[in-house]
Amino acid sequence: MIKSYLKIAWRNLWRNKSFSFLNISGLAIGIAAASLIIVWLLNEVSYDRFHTNANRIYNVYNADVHEGKTWCWNTTPKVMAQAIQQDYPEVETVVRVNWPQPLLFTIGDKKLKATGHFVDSGFLKMFSFPLIKGNANTVLNNNYSIVITESLSKKLFGNEEAVGKTFLVDNQDNFTVTGVLKDIPTNTQFDFEYLIPWSYMRTKGWDDEFWGNNSTNTFVQLKKETTLASITPKIKTLRSKYDKESPKMETFLYPISRSYLYGKFDNGKESGGRIETIRLFAIIAIFIILIACINFMNLSTARSEKRAKEVGIRKVVGAEKKSLIGQFLGESILISFIAGVFALIIISISLPYFADLVQKKLSINYSDYRFWLAGVGVILFTGLLAGSYPALYLSGFKPVAVLKGTFKKVNALVTPRKVLVVTQFAFAIILIIGTIIVRQQLLNAQDRQTGYSKDNLVFSFLEGDMEKNYPLIKNELLSNGIATSVTKTSAPITEGWSNTWGFEWQGKDPNDKTVIDRYCADDDICKTAGLQIIKGRDIDLDKYPTDSFAMLLNESAVKHMKFTEPLGQIILDNGKKWHVVGVVKDFILKSPYHPIEPMIIEGAAGWFNVVQLKFNTVKSTRENLAAAETIFKKYNPSYPFEYKFVDEQYAKKFDNEKRTGKLAGLFAFLTIFISCLGLFGLASYMAETRIKEIGVRKVLGASVFSITSMLSKDFLTLVIIART
Amino acid sequence: MIKITGLEKYYRTEEVETIALNKLTIDVKEGEFVAVMGPSGCGKSTLLNILGLLDDPDGGSFVFNGIEVAGFNERKRADLRKKNIGFVFQSFNLIDELTVFENVELPLIYNNVKATDRKKRVEEVLDNLKIMHRRNHYPQQLSGGQQQRVAVARAVVNNPKLILADEPTGNLDSSNGNEVMQLLTELNEKGTTIVMVTHSEHDARYSHRIIRMLDGHAVTENILI
Repeated sequence: MIKSYLKIAWRNLWRNKSFSFLNISGLAIGIAAASLIIVWLLNEVSYDRFHTNANRIYNVYNADVHEGKTWCWNTTPKVMAQAIQQDYPEVETVVRVNWPQPLLFTIGDKKLKATGHFVDSGFLKMFSFPLIKGNANTVLNNNYSIVITESLSKKLFGNEEAVGKTFLVDNQDNFTVTGVLKDIPTNTQFDFEYLIPWSYMRTKGWDDEFWGNNSTNTFVQLKKETTLASITPKIKTLRSKYDKESPKMETFLYPISRSYLYGKFDNGKESGGRIETIRLFAIIAIFIILIACINFMNLSTARSEKRAKEVGIRKVVGAEKKSLIGQFLGESILISFIAGVFALIIISISLPYFADLVQKKLSINYSDYRFWLAGVGVILFTGLLAGSYPALYLSGFKPVAVLKGTFKKVNALVTPRKVLVVTQFAFAIILIIGTIIVRQQLLNAQDRQTGYSKDNLVFSFLEGDMEKNYPLIKNELLSNGIATSVTKTSAPITEGWSNTWGFEWQGKDPNDKTVIDRYCADDDICKTAGLQIIKGRDIDLDKYPTDSFAMLLNESAVKHMKFTEPLGQIILDNGKKWHVVGVVKDFILKSPYHPIEPMIIEGAAGWFNVVQLKFNTVKSTRENLAAAETIFKKYNPSYPFEYKFVDEQYAKKFDNEKRTGKLAGLFAFLTIFISCLGLFGLASYMAETRIKEIGVRKVLGASVFSITSMLSKDFLTLVIIART
Repeated sequence: MIKITGLEKYYRTEEVETIALNKLTIDVKEGEFVAVMGPSGCGKSTLLNILGLLDDPDGGSFVFNGIEVAGFNERKRADLRKKNIGFVFQSFNLIDELTVFENVELPLIYNNVKATDRKKRVEEVLDNLKIMHRRNHYPQQLSGGQQQRVAVARAVVNNPKLILADEPTGNLDSSNGNEVMQLLTELNEKGTTIVMVTHSEHDARYSHRIIRMLDGHAVTENILI
């Protein structure tokens, strides 16, 4: 019987090629689009779940209350790890991981930069990053040992054996390779090319024991028998024993498997995070499949008159409704299967482009049986969903009516088919509106005045001898006419790296714990970055030697500090006294989507990571860069000259939103495309069934225009209903 | 074989109620060949649909082979139908997407006959009806007479006890029509009961008995043999 069904299904497909084409292409595009989304989402939800002990690994978080609101963050004091290891027998291992650190690796003439972490020696035992060479228990035991990834090993040593080789790191110490790691997967929050033992930090004096310095990430692995609930109340009060400054600050453990998707806190509670995007796109994937299925339902039921006779005959010769339902479902599964094959082709072609769009390394493991299982699942699901309504509809025909020719298609005001078309376009329109909203927000943020001049502004991180030779570098850049202004700062102008609620000024409310952004700039910051001075003057070390301790405030800071006369005010930061010399107009330091926060700029006595150059426009940017490179190389020969344009960095702030916008746009387009395929099929089918009517009308003198409008009217009405 | 007593059937639309069968009472014995005649709208097709278990009566009794079937649900009716009844229609009603062989095979499939047995039986019937050479053609490739032969083949392939024919020669010329009537007569001679609705006095003469209907009643009966 199944053979007979398949035969009929196949012959039907073959005879009605245009119908089959529309049906299959709609479904194939739908399945492909939804599958791409699924592949991406599966990658997202698998973040850091592959570690063997993933369910026992936790990130240590702080929770602190300011102005009645609970703030949660995961940078801890370096010394906290020891305290946890000592005081909590429930904990198996504690590992610290510092911020990603770009370091210069030198082997003979070869110099290259790589980013990695300083980590405690238990890192590779806690996290499942497999070693190709070396033993996870010992590779990080020596102060000067280094573990590198396979691709870094290739870059450094080609195909030679890396283990045992020694090279110079950051022009300071020689390190010996003790292990080579398989390249780390993309579905982890870690991104590193090398690992250096934490003990090296100690030899350099970079480790510290201040409880006030929340500066590193701490991870714990609980013992097998320990539950999170049992340790939570104990670890909560960890700081009360050690931290004299903030004894009330709470400590809690947060599962590493949750942190990528859910690790966003609002007032002490999880508040979404990436899971929101995941949910959104999961819904979009379902929408797209649904729309493709609706196409199928509409086209199949529209052809019902053609199939009606067959149904009637089959019933007459003894078919039960059940077996007819089976037949029609079989047909839709066959179509869905063919669509699935085409979808697979579309997926394998478009996956690299899609991966590029979502900025993830996505791949499909075709040798994994689970992939094929999921594929068959999707095909069956789509086939059953798409075939359900047509199967019930077609199998319900009464043979008497059908075979005696009294069977008439329903022409009611509201038919299920019309409802389906409306639903389909309603989905499409929801997606379009979503796309427009994302785009509008993006445009609003992009149109916002930054408050500084991004043009010809370039920055470079202070490395090697740059800080030492800074005066010479600055002098040559200025005197050679390469730059019109040069300033050392604590961070790029597009980023805020530091803030505190610890500033003190006259008249400050002792309970005021408002966080104020802290930025440092040695000299001429307003000139270099094009900040607008509202009151007072720029920091100017040449004219005013005391400007080492000069300070600028932004408008919001003046307002917050309630200064009627800000100039000359003294502000204390960690015991240092700064005097205010100027007020600048608010500018966007961090997010273009958020309001500007109060901010202060400290003078030359601050700390510096970046040098910013305002290029001279007399020469071309290319000439300026070439000349600047010569000067930087001269004073900092061990390091390559690396620079970034501020306008490009600023544009990156919109990358996420742009990506979401592009994705939403893409899927909105596909949705409409699929819907239109369906509508086209439906319309051409209607025209075909009304061919006699059209003929009669033409004979009676109807114009082509009146017939076209007659045929279009029905569908336009449905699209308009969907819109409203 | 068939005993109908006081059978009623109404058709309702929003405006009017039409009485198709009005307390109709007839008997058909096993092995009989009965023709039902009457003007359009007299209820003869309705009667045939009820006899074929394609439609439900609104009242009265219908005993088929000693079983009261008037209240059967769709599943039970389908089961009884596929085992006992074959149909021949005026417009042939073959499935366009299936070949001659596959069309004839269909009732056997729904009766769960094994594939090898099916092949044997279909070939036997096609051979008997002299359309074996057309077994792989599609209905559109056949003449009207040939299509009706296929339809007859399909009706008899399952060895039904009863064949219901609804104006079987209506779409055929006289020579093809006569051939089909000849076929039905032969089947009847072999023991199959036949009830045929027809407008043609010529065709009716092939039967044993003519039931004439008017407004849902059987008005006269002519016994021909």
